[in-house]
Formats: sequence, C-alpha cells, structure tokens
Amino acid sequence: MPRFNALGFGFLAPAMIVVTLFFLAPVILTVFFAFTNMSTSTGITGGEYLLTQSSLREVRARSVSEETVQKLESTVYAVDEAGLARLAAARDAATADELAALHGGAEFTSRREMERALKDLRENRIRSTRDRKTLADLFTTSVMDERFQTETEFRTALSAANISEPDQSELVEVAYTGWTWTTENMRLLFSLDSSWRYAANTVFYVVLTLSFNVGFGLFLAISTFYLPAPIANTFRTIWFLPRILPPVLYVLMWYWLTWDTGIISSFMGLFGVSPRNWMLDTATNAWVVIILINGFVGASLGMILFSSAIKTIPDSMLYASEVDGANRWQQIRFIILPQLRWPILFTSSYQTLSLLTSFEYILLATDGGPGGATEVWALAAYHTALNNYGGNLQYGLGAAYALVLVVIGIVTSALYLRFFNFKELVSKPRIEQ
Amino acid sequence: MTTRLLKQTTAALICSTLALPAFAEDVTITVWAGGSNDADAYRIEAIKIAADMLEREAAIDGRELSITVEGKRDFGGWEEFKQGVTLAAEAGSAPNIVVTSHLDIAPWSQAGYIVPAEDYLDFDAWPLNDLYPNLLEIAAYNGIQWGLPQDAESRPFFFWKDTMRGVGYSDADIAALPAKIEAGEYTLQNVLQDAKKAVDMGLVEEGYGFYPRPSNGPDYAQFYQSFGGVLEDPETGKLLLDKAAMEAFFQFFVDAVDAGITRKNHLGTDWGQWYSEVANGKAATWHGGTWHYARYTGKEGNEDFFGTIEFSLIPAGNDQGRANTITHPLVYLVTDQENDDHEEIAAQLVKIASEPRLNALHAIKSAHLGISRQQSNIELYSNDRWATEATERLLTTANAQPNNLDYGAYSEAMFKGLEAAWTGVKTPAAAVAELETELSAKLGDNLIVR
Repeated sequence: MPRFNALGFGFLAPAMIVVTLFFLAPVILTVFFAFTNMSTSTGITGGEYLLTQSSLREVRARSVSEETVQKLESTVYAVDEAGLARLAAARDAATADELAALHGGAEFTSRREMERALKDLRENRIRSTRDRKTLADLFTTSVMDERFQTETEFRTALSAANISEPDQSELVEVAYTGWTWTTENMRLLFSLDSSWRYAANTVFYVVLTLSFNVGFGLFLAISTFYLPAPIANTFRTIWFLPRILPPVLYVLMWYWLTWDTGIISSFMGLFGVSPRNWMLDTATNAWVVIILINGFVGASLGMILFSSAIKTIPDSMLYASEVDGANRWQQIRFIILPQLRWPILFTSSYQTLSLLTSFEYILLATDGGPGGATEVWALAAYHTALNNYGGNLQYGLGAAYALVLVVIGIVTSALYLRFFNFKELVSKPRIEQ
Repeated sequence: MTTRLLKQTTAALICSTLALPAFAEDVTITVWAGGSNDADAYRIEAIKIAADMLEREAAIDGRELSITVEGKRDFGGWEEFKQGVTLAAEAGSAPNIVVTSHLDIAPWSQAGYIVPAEDYLDFDAWPLNDLYPNLLEIAAYNGIQWGLPQDAESRPFFFWKDTMRGVGYSDADIAALPAKIEAGEYTLQNVLQDAKKAVDMGLVEEGYGFYPRPSNGPDYAQFYQSFGGVLEDPETGKLLLDKAAMEAFFQFFVDAVDAGITRKNHLGTDWGQWYSEVANGKAATWHGGTWHYARYTGKEGNEDFFGTIEFSLIPAGNDQGRANTITHPLVYLVTDQENDDHEEIAAQLVKIASEPRLNALHAIKSAHLGISRQQSNIELYSNDRWATEATERLLTTANAQPNNLDYGAYSEAMFKGLEAAWTGVKTPAAAVAELETELSAKLGDNLIVR
C-alpha cells in the first residue's frame, strides 16, 4: 500500500506550479476568452451602461419605440422649476434666482449652451469651469453620454426619463459596454476564407520545417558520429548556435544575408544578377527562408538527441558489422537508423506541436509577408489579439484562433501518449522486480 | 467615475470644497507618450512647464499645489505602448495623461479608460477657442470632446527635383506642380509616367521611381481617397467600402510594380535604409510625413531640403478622386482616475500645454505643424519655412481617418488586401472581393459596401 509521501509531493510541487501557471491557466483563459466578444473597447474586467450617438444607430435597428428614440435623440437642458430647485440645493438660492431672471424658461440643446448661460451670471459668478459643468448637468434628465455603473442605476435613470419597460430592456442590452458571451468568434473563424489559407499555410510550414529538422538533424548526427571526437564536437557546437542565439539577433543575421543590400545579393552581383530581396521577393523565397530559419533551430535539437542516441548503440554491433564487411551506408541503414526509431518519433511529435504554435521567427523575419503568404495560424492569432494600428484589439477572436491550436495540441498529445505507450515507458524496469 | 445621478447629489459637496481652507497638495501626474523619440520630447516637457504655470496660478489663488510630472516615452513601439496603457487602465493604474493616436479615442472611451476633456475644460476660452476646428473634431467622438490635439501633421507626396529636371521639367514646372496637383491636373497616372521615364533614363534605379512607405500606416488610406474612396459615411457614421475606388487604388500599386518603378517586395524595407535613400535622391517620387523634414535635414544630412525636394498633396488618382492628405494628429487624453481632482489637474495641464508658445516648441523641434491659429504669430513658428509652407499647402485641406470602433479592423484588412495585390499573390479584383467578404463578416451592420 503506497503511503502519502510528503517529500515526493514536495519534489513535484514546482512542476505542478509550472504546469498550472504555464499550461492550465493559459488554456483555461483561452477557452474563456474565445467565447467572449472581448476587445479593447469592451475592456477585460467588466462593463458599465452607456448610450452614445453610435449606440443610437443600434437602438434604431432594434424594436424600440419611435417615442423612445426621439427622447434619446433630443437632449434638452431646460432652465425650469425642477432644475432651478436642484441648483438652489447644490449651490444657493441667490444663484438660482439670478439664473431664473436671466434665462428662466429657456431650453438649450447642448451642454455647451447651458454652460454659456451659466457664464452669464454676474452677481453669483461660478468661477470654476468644473463646477459650471457639474451644475449644467442639473438641468437635464437625458441619459445620453452618461456612464452608469450598474443596471439598476441605469434603469432608474431610464424610468426617470419616462422610458417604457420593454424599451428599457432593449436599451440595457445596447448600452452595456463590457464583454458578453458569444459563439460568434467560432462562426466567424470558420466562415472566413483567410482562416482556411492560414490553416493551409500552417500545414505546409509544419510539414516542410519538420522534414528539414529531422532530416538535417539526422544528417548532422550521423556525419559527426563518424568524425574524430574533437572535430565532431566543434561542428556540433557550431550547428547549435542558431538555437542559443537570441531570436532577434539570429533573424537580423538572416536579414543581412538575404536583403537587397545583403550578402547574397552582393555576391550574386559579381555574376551580374541584379540585387533582390531573397527573403521577401516571392512567396517561394519567403517560405524557403522561413523553413531554413526555423529548420536550423530545430535541427540542432534533433542533432543533439540523435547524437546521444547513436552513442548508446553498443560499439560491438558496429565492429561486428565491419567484420561482416558492411560499409558505412549499410551500417547507417541497418544498425543506426533502426535504433533511432524512438528518438526520431519523439523529435517529430514534439516538434510538430512546437511548430504548430511557434511564430516568433516568422514574425521577426517576414511578419507573414509577402502579401500574407507566410501568415500561419499562430501568427494570425497574435496579429488579431495583440496588433492593430487602429487600436481596437480583438482579444476574443484572437483567443478563438488560439483555442483551435490548444484543441489540436491536446488531442495530438493524447494520441502520442497512446502511440508511444507512455505507461510502459514510465513503468518500473522489470529487472528490479 | 461619477455618474450624473451621483453628480447631482454630490454637486453641493463639490462646490462647498472651494470654501474649505487651503491645504498643501502634492500630486504626481504621469504622462506616457507613444511613438515619441528625442525630437518629440516636448510632448512631456510641455506638461512639466504647464505644471510650473499651474502651481504658480494656484499659489496666487492661495492654494498650495505641488505637481510632480513623470514622463515615459521609451516604448518598444506603438503595440507595446497601447498594450501598456490598456493593461494599466484595467489594473486601475493608468498614467494620468496619454499622448496617442486619435484612433484610440473610440475604443478607449467606450472601455471607460479615458474621461472627456470637455468635462473639465472650457472650449469657449483661451487657448482652446483658438485651436483649429478640424483638429478639435479629430479629437472628438460621438459628439463629445474627448481630448486635445497635441500636434498636427500631414502626409505629403515628395518629388526629387534633380530627377524631375532630368525627366524634362523646368524649375518653374516643378514649382507649379503642387498647384497643378491640387487642381487635379497632375494625377497619379502622371506620377507613373514620370517615374517610368526616370527609371528608363537611368536617373534612378529600377524600383525607385515611386518609393512608398514600407509599412502599414494611415498613408495608404490617402491613395484610396485619391481614387474617390470615402472611409466613413458622413450620414450614418458607418464605415464605407467603395469597391471601385479600392480596386483602382490596389491597381495603381500593381501598375507601379509592373512598370518597374516600385519593387514588388518593397513592403518590409528597413526604415533606416528607406529614410537614407529618399533623403538623398535615390528615389524619384515618394510619400511620407511632414515630420520627415526633421529626419531628412538632420540625421540623413540633406542640407538643402527646399533646393532638392518639392512637396505637395497626394495627387488624385482619377476623375472620381481628389488630391488629398491625411492628418493623423496625436492627442492628449486624460484617463479615468479614482480621484477626480487629479483628472482635473491633468486636464488643466494639457490645456496650458496647448498654448501657442508652448506648442510651437514641440512643432518646430519635431517638424510637426501647429494646432492653433495664433501659433503663426509666434516668431519661432512663423520664422520656420517648413512649418509655414506645409501648414498653408497641406493642413488646410487635410482630413483624418474616422474615429470608429471598427476602423482598426477595416484598416488592417485594407492593408492586407493591398499587400496581397502589390506582391502579386492576388489580382486587385480578387483582393477586393476577399476584403469585402472579410469586412462584411467582421463589421456586419457597421459597413456600407458601394
């Protein structure tokens, strides 16, 4: 009977914290965001109730009575009994009396005009602009352009403006400034042509980059295996550079290599080839560069994994094969590759998942260009949720893009675990039983 | 944040605070300025000068007010700045004043991050009654004055005079170009022809006949307008997609690529490279912003701007369109704070910073244009040839992009369409068709397709 082991749990705790912070929490938030219409304009933490000129457009499109619409449209500042009484209460009777004498019974259509009326006061001058504005508000019952923090407050104001109950409910919906639950993002996502193009781009990118990663990683691992150790280590270190370089610096070096004024163009210029941007000239150029940029980073990881796996092959097998007259190719074909089956499968599956969600090198290099040719799904999620020149970031729609990746990621992970027979891998070695 | 009901019940209280004995008040006002480099330092410095002024005014009034202004403008880029402001606002720690694009007014006012400047400031009084009305309008949304224009600029079309002479223009012809362009007599089609000539004659390299801005920005909406496009329907306030104008605009860039005067892979060119090339005559024609003047004559070392470069409105594209320029002023916005008094102080500071003399410091140092009429009576401003000529030639006809919640999605999609056509991934017609589908799906009722 296994007993509760506090020490073991303690050792696990950091991993649990990391999993919760960097996997569970983001996943839960993504699911949550994806089913909202959250954007910069709705804010994240909730909303209030506000009717503006823009909302009036929406009000008209709904089944709201004409009377209500007109009430909302006509903002009137009336210097009437009620208003003057409020002014007397807020300030003093003398001010109210002077205003009544100057503008009693007048009606103004904007706050600016009401303020001007208040400026006419001489005996009881209101010196502070802010006070004048606050006092001007005493003369209207309009609910337009006023933020109400709760629905109750908003409904009270609507009732005070004599707006009918059914219309109130419609207005409450229109006026709410916060986010609401919706499945609209998903519908939009699957109805846009661009989504399908991003999906196709992603498949293309993942398949080609992965093939390069694994193929080139294998090539490096095997070729360095046959080199003397010091030379092999030097080569491995060099090929590991793309992975340890900061991405910005690494991509900058690709700029120097590929741009019109870069190394390739200068070199080709010697042969009379006119300079061109080898990164962005055509979609093919862009893809080649993107796959190489990501491929070299991924290949270095493959190289390390495969190299160490090759080292675990007993030397005796290789010696025996040489005694049997096998050449290098036959050694690779019949001894090394079969033994690398699991590392190759592991690298492929791990990198499929990581490539699906990685976009930082593409963002830095082509930013999805030219003409959106290299815009992959994860980059589209980033652009939608966090990059918008016009300022209204679409968090909800961006999260919907990300959610698709989360689902694919979880499903494939589950398949991989089954495929690799994870239970068997982590079971106790039989030899100790 | 106060609601009217709250205001009405507390109005008496607020008013009575004036009667309280004066007490010392220490206030820290933070200012975040997006898209600002060293030349734009006065976006923050002006607030510091204004703070000194306000303190002195308060002292004379018998109040002890001490304002510390903390400025920040070292953001990684516009995205980082906008994310920073929105996250800070969500967390309740927004800077008191932000200097940002006027396009942020729509989403930020809706989200409640900012408060209307008109709640605290008298627009009938100096210096606000002297601001250009069209600039004030750009800082308004839904009929409310949310902010104050911080600067003005506009986005001209540029010609390299030597190249134009090489193509066959006399000095008088070149000098007459701005007027001809304004009258619609010299159009983008003429640009195509002249730029082609310049390339064919070897005056500039291939791809350098017309050398546009290398990244997305308000500039591209100008070319849509050149072909008769309208961004927002003035009647309904809905965004407008004019398919014919959009296609003609995309087609112009495709024609430029086909003619060899613009590179197919131009978008994404390094800005540093771009500035140095246009400032030194490598391109025949290009378009940019009024603030480029500072860069060309400063860092890029063009010592004879007026002798080498002619500038004008963006030419019309066809009969339906017009010569135009877009101004994309930054605005001072006051954010929502727990303490309304701090909002008021912030509003007072941006008001004082909008005084002609103070704004002239920023305008001239950063090669932006003025925001008020009286600025032309400030010698620093009127003695500056660029500010004066650019104001006269460009600012009077400049329009702005609409403050509309969906404009961000609209402009992103428009640029994606342009990019697809420009780089040859799609034909202009196909790009417009996809743009229509995408905008119809995303904007729904807020879009009119014509």
